[in-house]
Amino acid sequence: MKKGLTSGIVLLALGVVAGLLLAVVNAITAPIIAANELAAKLEALEQFYPDIQTAYDVEEIILEGDIDSVYVLKDKTTGDPVAAVYSVSSMGYETSVRMLIAVNADGTVHAYSFVTNDGTKGLGLVLSDIDFGMTGADVGDATAFDAHGGATVTSNGVLACFTVVAARYATDLGGN
Amino acid sequence: MNLKEARDNFLKGFIKENPLFVTVLGTCPALAITTKVENALGMGLALLFVLVLSNLLVSLVTFRPKIRALVMPVRIPVYIVLIATLVVITEMVMEAFLQPLYVTLGVFIPLIVVNCIIFGRAEAYASDHKPVESMIDGAGMALGFTMSIVIMSIFRELIGAGTLTIWTQGEADVVLDLRFIFDFLGITPIDMFQKPVGAFVTFGLILAVIAAAQNAKAAQAQPAAEVKK
Repeated sequence: MKKGLTSGIVLLALGVVAGLLLAVVNAITAPIIAANELAAKLEALEQFYPDIQTAYDVEEIILEGDIDSVYVLKDKTTGDPVAAVYSVSSMGYETSVRMLIAVNADGTVHAYSFVTNDGTKGLGLVLSDIDFGMTGADVGDATAFDAHGGATVTSNGVLACFTVVAARYATDLGGN
Repeated sequence: MNLKEARDNFLKGFIKENPLFVTVLGTCPALAITTKVENALGMGLALLFVLVLSNLLVSLVTFRPKIRALVMPVRIPVYIVLIATLVVITEMVMEAFLQPLYVTLGVFIPLIVVNCIIFGRAEAYASDHKPVESMIDGAGMALGFTMSIVIMSIFRELIGAGTLTIWTQGEADVVLDLRFIFDFLGITPIDMFQKPVGAFVTFGLILAVIAAAQNAKAAQAQPAAEVKK
């Protein structure tokens, strides 16, 4: 009994010391890791805004649901939001369609791209290169959306992504 | 421990008791990550950090008889806690400061915790030796392992891709592009050596060369012994 207790205390003490040590190292490395991750994400967003890392302050908002994260681009001098990029997904054919949609402060679509779109076998890859007619259009304007014949379900998934963003963008950009 | 003993203790990990080529330990990372020299150097650095410190800590908690009596009944969990802590620290530091290498090495960094070399040295050496001796042993074994995986990666990257990627983590990349040799010979690099099968072939070839050398040495020694009789 006494031996078992001693062993338990030895392990407990060791666990406490190890935990404290890990906490210290984590406190040092966690901000650096977070900065690295944000830089990697911003690098991916340079396809929409090539000067994103120098011209804007970027605020990342993590959400749950169809939109998993929002990157709000703010003017470096005034701090006003000028655009937002949404990482959004919706159900396509069999699997989800994941997109990045960049929206200007006036609610027009700046640009968009597909992160994954493997729902429509054969057509899936083609769909990623298709112009759905939304660039420059109001993000909530379904009449501007040009669906792709032969891939109705996936097209609906893409349209749903724009619809979800349309319902959200005023929250991030102040409804300008 | 005098200087000669310390030197022998350090050097035994390179040839005589090489962890990879002689005792055949740590083969999983050796086969998986040796597609580039840089990967081998990164894994070697991580292992060096973990093995030297784990040997030191294991030796510290088992060296003094009073503490040893407390630790020995639960030594296996104690070793695991110590090694796991060091591995997690390594993982966090690599993710923060060597991010591309961290991504490339992937799951093989946390898997250092179950690397047989580390556990083997803790149980077979560090638990019975003084802290400094244990650190020297750990450094020798880790550098011996690093040497082995660097040899494998040089072979695999050179034959498989025609390049030698030494380091690409900083501002200046150090990559030797030796494809001109293949162009000169009118052949292309053998892509197979960049794939898992190439890892097994390379490992097998190196073990075969070592076995042949040992056999030749034994054959030379045998007649000499018979003459002596």
